[in-house]
Amino acid sequence: MKDISSGKELVNKIKSFIKNYDFEIIASEGKSELTRFAESYIHQNVAETNLNLIVKVINEDRIGAVEMNSIDDHTIAKNIEKAIEVTKIAPKLDYHYQLLKPQSYKIKSKYSKDTANFNPLNRAQLVSQLIKEVNKRGYEAAGAFKTEESTLLVANSEGVFAFDRGTKVDFNCVITRDNSTAHTSFIDSDINNFNIDKITDELLLTALKNVEQIEIDPGIYTVILSPEAVSEILNYTGYTAFNGKTIMEGKSFVCHNQGKKIFPETITLSDDPFNELTMPIPFDMVGYPREKTDLIKNGVIKDGVYDHLTALKYNKKCTGNTLPPEHTSFGAIPFNLVMKEGSNSVEEMISSTKKGIYISRFHYVNILNPMSVQLTGMTRDGTFLIENGKIVRAIKNMRFNASVIDMLKAVDMISKERQTKPGSIGPAVTPYLRTNNFTFSSKTSF
Amino acid sequence: MKKILKNILDWLELKVSYADLRFVQTEKENIEVENGILSSYNVSTNRGVGIRVLADGAWGFAASNNLDEASLQETAAKALDIARASALTKKEDIRLAHEDKHIDTYITPIAKNPFQINPAEKIDLLVKATKMMLKDRVKKSEGSFSFYKTHKIFISTEGSALEQTIFESGGGMAAYAIGEGDFQKRSYPSSFGGDYATRGYEFIEEMNLLENAERTAEEANQLLAAPPAPEGITDIVLGGSQLALQVHESCGHPAELDRALGKEISYGGGSFLTLDKLNNFTYGSPEVTIVADATVPGGLGTFGYDDEGVPASKSYLVNKGKFVGYLMSREDAFKLGLKSNGAARAENWNRIPLVRMTNINLLPGNLELNKLIGEIKKGLYLDYNKSWSIDDRRINFQFGTEIAREIKNGKLGKIYKNAVYQGITPEFWKSCDGISSEKYWHVWGVPNCGKGQPDQGMHVAHGTSPARFRKVKVGASK
Repeated sequence: MKDISSGKELVNKIKSFIKNYDFEIIASEGKSELTRFAESYIHQNVAETNLNLIVKVINEDRIGAVEMNSIDDHTIAKNIEKAIEVTKIAPKLDYHYQLLKPQSYKIKSKYSKDTANFNPLNRAQLVSQLIKEVNKRGYEAAGAFKTEESTLLVANSEGVFAFDRGTKVDFNCVITRDNSTAHTSFIDSDINNFNIDKITDELLLTALKNVEQIEIDPGIYTVILSPEAVSEILNYTGYTAFNGKTIMEGKSFVCHNQGKKIFPETITLSDDPFNELTMPIPFDMVGYPREKTDLIKNGVIKDGVYDHLTALKYNKKCTGNTLPPEHTSFGAIPFNLVMKEGSNSVEEMISSTKKGIYISRFHYVNILNPMSVQLTGMTRDGTFLIENGKIVRAIKNMRFNASVIDMLKAVDMISKERQTKPGSIGPAVTPYLRTNNFTFSSKTSF
Repeated sequence: MKKILKNILDWLELKVSYADLRFVQTEKENIEVENGILSSYNVSTNRGVGIRVLADGAWGFAASNNLDEASLQETAAKALDIARASALTKKEDIRLAHEDKHIDTYITPIAKNPFQINPAEKIDLLVKATKMMLKDRVKKSEGSFSFYKTHKIFISTEGSALEQTIFESGGGMAAYAIGEGDFQKRSYPSSFGGDYATRGYEFIEEMNLLENAERTAEEANQLLAAPPAPEGITDIVLGGSQLALQVHESCGHPAELDRALGKEISYGGGSFLTLDKLNNFTYGSPEVTIVADATVPGGLGTFGYDDEGVPASKSYLVNKGKFVGYLMSREDAFKLGLKSNGAARAENWNRIPLVRMTNINLLPGNLELNKLIGEIKKGLYLDYNKSWSIDDRRINFQFGTEIAREIKNGKLGKIYKNAVYQGITPEFWKSCDGISSEKYWHVWGVPNCGKGQPDQGMHVAHGTSPARFRKVKVGASK
């Protein structure tokens, strides 16, 4: 057997090797191709075909997992033997491990045959077109253009059988001319939605404004965050604050604030695979159906997301956010963060700002204090000063040290427009946000 | 496997100006324990072949886990197609710096093969250590080990044929003291998974986890009750573990030549160490000498040959404060008219070699630690990384540490929590006026350096001994 397309056959084979033990499997395979360019030429261009099989053997609350990327009989048998051996020496879990019963699934991944068939020459031609256009304005282009086709199979000895196939287009680009830069990203399942002319125009529009940057002093500012910047902030928040395991361990601000209304009525955040702008997978890594989970609803802190193990251990309901066994210790993260839209246009948000800063993108965000969700990071590729309702100047990059809690408390405008932007697992769907409490702590020289 | 690889190389020979094939097989054992309970035991095997070609003056790379000859022939043909597509945008033909032909084998010298140690023994050690840490407010403890055995075969159209077997071992533990609205973590022997080395199980035994478990838990409890670090401008001493991160972010990454050439600008960013600064820029004080040394015994970035078949070497990046060298691949070295210093590394068979750190070491000074601290009237001793962030040219940085100790009149005093310090890279290194001696020097393994698209995690290391920096901006996270 060389691939997992005959899913049932693989499951039966594993069953025959494992015999009397319970098991779970996660099998994935795919073709991923990525064209990378910098200084306006393609400098890295790669393609990969691979598969991965994880078999988890469960023996009276003792678990051993093995992982392999070859599925011939000999390899599977040898690895399963190792997993069984481990279950004989491992200490028992401190809770009873139950396998999931068979489920039904309401959604499927999005699949595009055109994306699956998109080839290196197709990608190179679009990259070449973008390079030529930005070169005409004196800019160099750098970025990555990925197309991917993947198959996922999750099954267990109780009869769970979940099979899915999807495609992905993932593009990002920075254009530069001295200190003038701009960035954009695109993520979708269908290459037919990828519009290189639109992307080129967007890049040039930002870059041509992002010139002759001035320095401003650190301090607390009103800021308007782009959907890309909002996505970055919320993804960090998702994994540190809304991870059910950290909530159960008392390591998240959620555990002391559940049910409390601490944000404005307009703030609603969920993990929502059903949103039409996102790219869902139908199930998690034990085959639990993905479902919508409210994290913040109308300003009220609801709950986090839970993986199968944490849910069993703490008697909670799994929300369909189980990660592969190698990340078991981490807990769970939201797969498809969606922030509810507001009622404002971006133009209104800018024109009603007396003094503020527009942030296109962040760089190297990290957690400073997990309990207050204080994050740090730099601005990058287009930070602008807003005065009297207009973007007046580009400014040099700044470091922020800001608590997401304080930042969301001070949100007073949310855009109607939302965009699909790269997320932790699946993409996030985020609007523009205006907040009156965003702390910059220092500046840099460009 | 070697025969199949050779057949594919022969097939490619007439179609390309250069090609290399890499077979990589990795065995990994990962054990994670929480509060004395085994939470995860994973064993993995992974193998495949990556084929890199230079055709029509441009790069193509294709990789597959299907190892039969027919599949690999298809993979080679795919690499050729990709190179021809790349050529559509080329400005000039890619050229590689000269490298001699090498035919050799390399095996990591180890005393105890970690894969021959009974898993029960490893699990038991972590169970005991994590149970010992459950004291007072420590409600969560965790410990982990990871072991790797990587077998690599490299052949190229230039005639090089290399075989390497690299062993890696590592792990660590952490205690979480949890209070109402706050928690504090204390790690040992380093944060974010511990310490790693190209050594055998003896490396784990030398960590003395059990001997350090109670102290680690006690410090976590002390941190929970400690005040936040004071704000201001002060003198600091960075402990070795935190200094490793400082070297990594503010010297290792900016010294990568591909970053300086703009090849990473869209993702990881560029570098303030632009080409005009080579041999012409004061990076730090005369105390500061930093080398890239892939030959250090046991370093996590130690190997026989890099993934372009260039021998491991030692070269200077910063010499007595002056910026004198980059980390280089063959392609990038050619642009400077230099030879590669063996820093092109690939995460696995399915990734291309990129310019990566090896062991980036801050060479020791000659001070005793008590003198380094003793010459500070008022300051902080900071160690064990907790948070890190740096701008996309590696100039403005801000790092947080697990623990801070007051320094008052040359003596260590009370503990502070949530410490952060900020700086501008060259100014910070110019403020270094003392480095402790070789006695305190240790090579810290960092198994999670990220770079590139698609992402590549790399195992690197940093040799450091505690060092002193004057007038640094410090504060606390809130």
